[in-house]
Amino acid sequence: MANIKQLLLLFTIISVFASCSDDGTIIEPIDPVNELVNPTTYDFTRDGASTVSFTGQTERIGMATEMVNAMSNFESTPEQLLEMYTNQTASGGDANPFLDADLNASSKSIKSKVAASRDFFSTNNAESSQIKVEIERLILAQVTEVFPNQNELAAKGVAGQIADGSSARYVNGGGLEYNQAVAKSLIGALMVDQMLNNYLSPSVLDEGLNVENNDNGIVVEGQVYTNMEHKWDEAFGYIFGAPGTDFAQPLNTLGGDGFLNKYLSRVEGDNDFTGIASDIYEALKLGRAAIVAKDYDLRDEQAAIITDRVSEVVGVRAVFYLQQGKNALANGDFGGAFHDLSEGYGFVFSLRFLKDSNTGQALFAKSEVDGFIQQLTQGNGFWDIGATTLDQLSTDIASKFEFTVNQAGS
Amino acid sequence: MSKLHFLLCLIFFFAVACGGDNMEGEGPPETENNSFNRGEMLAFWADDIIIPAYSDHVEGLDILLESMNAFYANPSQSSLNDFRDAYLSSYQTWQQVSIFEIGKAEEIGLRNFMNIYPANEELIENNLNSQDFNLVLPSNFAAQGFPALDYLLYGIEDTDETIIQLLTSENGRVYTEALVNRIRDLNTEVLTDWNDGFRDEFVSNDGSSATASTDKLVNDFLFYYERFLRAAKVGIPAGKFSTNTEPSRVEGFYSMNFSKQLFQGGFSAVQDFFNGISFRTGRQGISLRQYLEHIHMTADTEVDLAAAINEQWQSAESQLVGVNNNFQEQILEDNPAMEALYYELQDAVVLLKVDMLQALNIQVDFVDADGD
Repeated sequence: MANIKQLLLLFTIISVFASCSDDGTIIEPIDPVNELVNPTTYDFTRDGASTVSFTGQTERIGMATEMVNAMSNFESTPEQLLEMYTNQTASGGDANPFLDADLNASSKSIKSKVAASRDFFSTNNAESSQIKVEIERLILAQVTEVFPNQNELAAKGVAGQIADGSSARYVNGGGLEYNQAVAKSLIGALMVDQMLNNYLSPSVLDEGLNVENNDNGIVVEGQVYTNMEHKWDEAFGYIFGAPGTDFAQPLNTLGGDGFLNKYLSRVEGDNDFTGIASDIYEALKLGRAAIVAKDYDLRDEQAAIITDRVSEVVGVRAVFYLQQGKNALANGDFGGAFHDLSEGYGFVFSLRFLKDSNTGQALFAKSEVDGFIQQLTQGNGFWDIGATTLDQLSTDIASKFEFTVNQAGS
Repeated sequence: MSKLHFLLCLIFFFAVACGGDNMEGEGPPETENNSFNRGEMLAFWADDIIIPAYSDHVEGLDILLESMNAFYANPSQSSLNDFRDAYLSSYQTWQQVSIFEIGKAEEIGLRNFMNIYPANEELIENNLNSQDFNLVLPSNFAAQGFPALDYLLYGIEDTDETIIQLLTSENGRVYTEALVNRIRDLNTEVLTDWNDGFRDEFVSNDGSSATASTDKLVNDFLFYYERFLRAAKVGIPAGKFSTNTEPSRVEGFYSMNFSKQLFQGGFSAVQDFFNGISFRTGRQGISLRQYLEHIHMTADTEVDLAAAINEQWQSAESQLVGVNNNFQEQILEDNPAMEALYYELQDAVVLLKVDMLQALNIQVDFVDADGD
């Protein structure tokens, strides 16, 4: 099979070259003024001032971090958690739910950017609000289902504690840790969706007068960057913009958040995928340089690389946790298994937001992901789930990618 | 592809199983390593090491219970000293059995209830003061077992006088008795299970698969060595897993002068298990050392792995000689000596986990935790 694929690829490449030489013309760059300069680090300036900016992304990562932490604090109330999700009061007033004052001062919120990308959700309001509400449900269920059973032992159908090694995990009646489910679901619903389906998309990058302004070096009022530059940086911020990281050289500080960056670092650490972090970083850097050079084809080629590899990160971790969960169940280690499967649940939920760079369409349909989640949660959830189901899910997921279940699973 | 693979495997297993039946009419299928008698080794482990070590430990716990009762019958400095001595002896005998987290011990998660340290002082005090506690819960692992007793007997108050006052207060007494009873009951339950049938189940499960006794116990042994001996007792307090040293994370933190002794207890148990030193007689029987020597001879391998492992442990023992009885003091005064001990222990991990497991054809069944 692989050989046939390779042959086909080779054939395609040959035919592309053939058609090029048939054509015989070399297109001159339209605007030779801006030669491509790919800097060694993600460092771009205009008249000596840095044009790189993604404060909104850093803030949202900070908010998500505080919210997920608060889900493990048994003192947290539903109101507090919801205020962290929406950064406003129930009646829509100004809220100050965060420990970090800067986050309270921010006008941004997690919820407003959940399932909110231009490409996937601008004409799909129904699913967008469904996902926003589902995340909200997972947050609140922690308080209503798990908190009251803080001092109960978890059992089939009973929320409570279960040992994972020497630590206590807190699960619902189906063995699901809501805090893990929320954290890992946000990787897809917030970070990946915004990154791939919004900021890296021509529909956002080229919106309005963006191309014209970028071509003419017209910056956003009061700023030093063009709007297109800024949109690209916002994509960058969701993967490399965790609070306190050095954005110029983010590969030195991988794992700086609990979200996309952390799991990029995990996949990078698997020998089967080493180099993926650098691929994503280099493509972000070259794509940004291409915007400066007004080379939008090169920009979109980089966006496609980023789309493929970021999608791969989520796919690999989904399969990884399902396989780890399966192995732990085989050892009778329910606590360890439930923890893995809870992370897996979030990564499976996140599959919905991955994009196929060839078609520009979602890699997984809503019905597919809904089906996966249904299989993970039906009956008594993780208490009942079998190795066959977990293997089947893993195979189904891996089949959308170039990697095998084995490569992702260990 | 995978279906075909599966089918081939089935056929293969079938053939091997049939062959074994025809030739021997008993025992597991013969493979290259199986000419070594795993069943005999398992019987030796059970009868000469594990069960006697548990019996000794449970006897010690009976004495702990008696000395606690004597203390409450007549609280004094002298009866507190006896209580403390009995506690230290039983913490020491715990080191003999901690490796063997299999059977009932695995089922109940014995080690989690016996020896999670550092003890959680706040949790212990909350439990004690509120009298509202459930020691079955995982969230109470660090509020019970030997580390919690260590805190109650040595650390919860500044002087022996105030410690006696606290222990004999109503709340103090309820909590102390609950801890001692639970330690004794759980270990007794494990010993009883060994004596009531698990021994035979363990010995007869003498094949070579992920669920066979040898594969499981060798994994438990490695897991203990790597996590609980190398890391917990030495590496973590010496700062090998953090930016700074963590001297307050030594074992027996409050009793202060016994951390080396507790480590030595665990380390001796490791070496005796590997070398097959009978807990009953002190004589040598069949264990991993003999297994490796058997493979070394029959397969004519280049390296005498058993000797290499023992040599490495000898280096660790030599390094240990100069280390302070109080690991905390050692870390504060001269951590490089503690780190050196860690490295000596670490050097044996590769020999055990890679070379030995490969020689014995055993798969590792535990993975490094994700860390979140």
